[in-house]
Amino acid sequence: MSRETSPEPSESLPVSAVAASPVGRSTAERLHVAGLHAPGDAVLSVRDLNVRFNSENGVVHAVRGVDFDLLPGKTLGIVGESGSGKSVTSMAIMGLLPETAEVNGSVLLKGKELLGLSDKAMCKYRGKELAMVFQDPLSSLTPVYTVGNQIVEALTVHNPTMSKQAKEVRAAELLGMVGIPSPKDRLKAFPHEFSGGMRQRVMIAIAIANNPRVLIADEPTTALDVTIQAQVLEVLQKAQDETGAAVVMITHDLGVVAGIADDILVMYAGKPVEAGVVDDIYYNPRMPYTMGLLGAVPRVDISEKSSLIPIEGMPPNLVHTPTGCSFAPRCPLAGPECLTGEPPLRKVPGSSAHQAACVKAEALGGDVDVHDIFHAPPVPVSNFAGIPREDRKTVLELRDVKKHFPLMKGALLKRRIGTVKAVDGLSFDIREGECFAIVGESGSGKTTTLLEIMEFHKDQDGEVVIGGLSNKEAADSKTKFAMRKEMQMVFQDPTGALDPRFTVYEVLAEPLVNQGMGKSDIKKRIMELMRLVGLQPDHVNRFPNQFSGGQRQRIGIARALAVNPKLVVLDEPVSALDVSVQAGVINLLDKLRAELGLSYLMVAHDLAVVRHISDRVAVMYLGKIVEVGEVGRVFDNPRHPYTRALLSAIPVPDPEVERNRERIILEGDLPTPLDAPTGCNFVTRCPVYAALPEAKKQKCLTEEPPLEMISASRAAAQLEAETSTALDQRFACFFPDGDLDQSSLVSHASAGPHAP
Amino acid sequence: MFRYLAKRGITYVFMIFLTTSAGYLLAVSTLKPALLEQERIPRPTPEQVVNSLSLKGLNPELNPWERYVDWLTGIVTRWDWGRSPNGAFINAEFGDRVWISTRLFLASIILTLVIGVALGVYSAARQYKFSDRAITAYSYLAYIVPAPIAYFLVQLAAININDTLGKRVFFVTGISTPGMDPGWAQFVDMVAHYAVPTIAITLVGWGSYQIAQRQYLLDNVNADFVRTARAKGLTRNQAISRHALRVSFIPVAQSIAFTIPAIFAGGFFAEKIFAWPGVGSWSIDAISQQDVNAATATLAYGSVIFAIGAILADFATTLVDPRVRVQ
Repeated sequence: MSRETSPEPSESLPVSAVAASPVGRSTAERLHVAGLHAPGDAVLSVRDLNVRFNSENGVVHAVRGVDFDLLPGKTLGIVGESGSGKSVTSMAIMGLLPETAEVNGSVLLKGKELLGLSDKAMCKYRGKELAMVFQDPLSSLTPVYTVGNQIVEALTVHNPTMSKQAKEVRAAELLGMVGIPSPKDRLKAFPHEFSGGMRQRVMIAIAIANNPRVLIADEPTTALDVTIQAQVLEVLQKAQDETGAAVVMITHDLGVVAGIADDILVMYAGKPVEAGVVDDIYYNPRMPYTMGLLGAVPRVDISEKSSLIPIEGMPPNLVHTPTGCSFAPRCPLAGPECLTGEPPLRKVPGSSAHQAACVKAEALGGDVDVHDIFHAPPVPVSNFAGIPREDRKTVLELRDVKKHFPLMKGALLKRRIGTVKAVDGLSFDIREGECFAIVGESGSGKTTTLLEIMEFHKDQDGEVVIGGLSNKEAADSKTKFAMRKEMQMVFQDPTGALDPRFTVYEVLAEPLVNQGMGKSDIKKRIMELMRLVGLQPDHVNRFPNQFSGGQRQRIGIARALAVNPKLVVLDEPVSALDVSVQAGVINLLDKLRAELGLSYLMVAHDLAVVRHISDRVAVMYLGKIVEVGEVGRVFDNPRHPYTRALLSAIPVPDPEVERNRERIILEGDLPTPLDAPTGCNFVTRCPVYAALPEAKKQKCLTEEPPLEMISASRAAAQLEAETSTALDQRFACFFPDGDLDQSSLVSHASAGPHAP
Repeated sequence: MFRYLAKRGITYVFMIFLTTSAGYLLAVSTLKPALLEQERIPRPTPEQVVNSLSLKGLNPELNPWERYVDWLTGIVTRWDWGRSPNGAFINAEFGDRVWISTRLFLASIILTLVIGVALGVYSAARQYKFSDRAITAYSYLAYIVPAPIAYFLVQLAAININDTLGKRVFFVTGISTPGMDPGWAQFVDMVAHYAVPTIAITLVGWGSYQIAQRQYLLDNVNADFVRTARAKGLTRNQAISRHALRVSFIPVAQSIAFTIPAIFAGGFFAEKIFAWPGVGSWSIDAISQQDVNAATATLAYGSVIFAIGAILADFATTLVDPRVRVQ
């Protein structure tokens, strides 16, 4: 972009964007930007950073001694779970913590101390040398100002002499740089006219407006769908290339940073517990917490049938300073030596930059199996394991279920201007002991599908059969009552789903009382349920707020299981939980399914979780299933272009895989259901369609591809012949093996994470 | 924008018609001026009463629907809102009284809004400091104290000032001194009459705006977009005044719709206490005097004021919030 307008002769250097800024820069700085700095010349160096907050319960020591150096053009990933102090660290560097926070230590930006500066003095650095991208793009832009206005403001603050036109030109250039089409017109748009992904692009444009030296991204993609996440990560990397900024990437997702970070800092309980080059952390972790964290994440690219690694317990309360290692209470290896004094970060032998805060770091070499350390439970085997799918009973069947919402316009007299096809002709079935997952981006109709199943009404469009009870035949209250006994639901947000005024006993007793069970039986059953989900039975008189998030979700599961259902509907059961806690809940779900012979219908956006737990999977796009089948088949050999893109967008916690793989970046966002195309729903974003010759394109535009049995490819036909069973995979695409449009492929294979 | 407001305008005209018609039918079936006429001495015969009321277009022998049709025809064809049982013309009296009410309340409403919002912003910026606590405590007090008592207190204070100074600076009742020469003396007289009611109504009124504005601003002070603005390089105060203030004003602007008509139509306490014969006191008098047409006229006026307030609020909201602008 700005490269063409740059007067600089040195084309290969990422200084062009600097030159576009009207403020002159010193020669030293130009060299600095160009990467011609002395080694060890950190652009940002943090030493012994401590942050304390006053709370009603006492002083919370949220950050306890963070040290790191950030080299120009490099990316540092700070990884940790909620409450680990990673966000507070970034806010302390930016000077954005509330005045009541007590911040000690040292933050040097190019040798200048930032801590202790007044709000006004910090303003010289914020937005100019130090910029930040926040987590939630929906609330991070002021709703009442145009996008252009907000970008121009960032320019005005630091370049008061810049002319209005120049600012507008620069703003349009920035919008173009972050990949917003027709940037000039879009400057006049308001934030609410943009989707979440677009707003995050605007945030990035604002952040890089003044070519910052340091760009801090605090969970920049957590609130976004995977395909949009891939787009935004791509934009972030491009922004870094353009400006040459050093990036601090804060995330809880080990996959996101695997591909783009140079160094990783793992934080736990406000303290860095392991630091090093990305490969050290991922392939040779020495701190049990890091090891557990890596083992707790399911992988989307590997079909593993080992259990995930649960880290028992929860992070310590930082009101009380830990006396020993802060991880010791949850660490399976903890011995008495771990409880006397917190271990400092120490160099790991055999590596120059790798540090770990564990007294046993030396012993935890590469050949130690994490599964042994953390006592991962054995893989549960279900009673149904040996029985072929066809011979099992059907617990849920959907036949051509549709949910169309009319779109109305007008104040007094409403007229129909269109139809939103939230769910458009869904058919699938779930057999005993099976886990069926529905995946897709937000807006694809996953939740509406669940609601339609729960609705169970005669007038619904399509048939829902639950445990042999059909909504068409008798949907009176008696049948509904029987249906509820067959099927129960576990909700996404465990905090919101439990009445805060009910004790756990009351929560669990309610469905049993409804079923007319006697008092003593209820008591017995509740104790049984508590043990079943791994909670202490004597905690039944506590209120939900006395439990952690993972425990609350266990209560939610126990409530669902109280009436002994055949089918449990899981609506994003682990998405609100931290990785280490998530693993425990997933293992529990796995175990319950095997022990009780349950079937699951799961809705999730995390495809790695789906791969781990499901037998079959359906990929939804704009209310339709575009691909469905056995989970391994669909994930290893995706045929529909959307499935291919979706799978390629998911970051994997493996730096090597991340660096070398080719990513399909989908254009734009999910189209609004109003202008849903007449032919294939996916044409507007389809990378295969873009590369098709004109003659074939017509077919995609006019005909709706049916969801068909796989048979097109010769290899599949051969496999089918060999195994003499039909392959369980169907997809809705005319040209499944078509070539992909080259412009949608992104790969960083040759250049490594990012060349300077 | 204009089309949107025009559309809203038409909706409100329809609503005013409905409320006024319903009000008239209710009034005509419950208010019986004939009964009051019977209390006269010497007591008139029923024929005389019917005769006298018929002359004023208030024939009690017609059924409500017939009277409604007559009344509506008068308004639609001649803009004639009828007469009171005492013979006064509603149009003439209404004109006088609306002007009095407007003079009494307009200045106070503007002052109430401006002072309330300004103090709200000021106290939010100094949350939990002494000035914030004092201002907010006062607002709650003004909220709790019944308006008539507050008005009396202000009157007492004005009288006290008069007594201390030994001369009459403020008038605590009335609109103006009759027979003043036009010019400076008349202006001073006007100010002396205006000061006490305006101050009294303003002092009581701003509390609700202050509390609302303070609360909404505090809700937004730590909003994510204010943090973004600070991350750009704005100081905290700049970020708040440029980004949080406008967003926090949106709900306050919406509440204007409901306070303006409340002050106008519900201002009978102020009108009674300060002896300004405006619309508010008229509406109460009309009911006690079984005056169907006057009661309906004040009701119609109330709906019109409400519609104006609502349109103003719509206008203000569309001005500050681009999200509600319609294409």
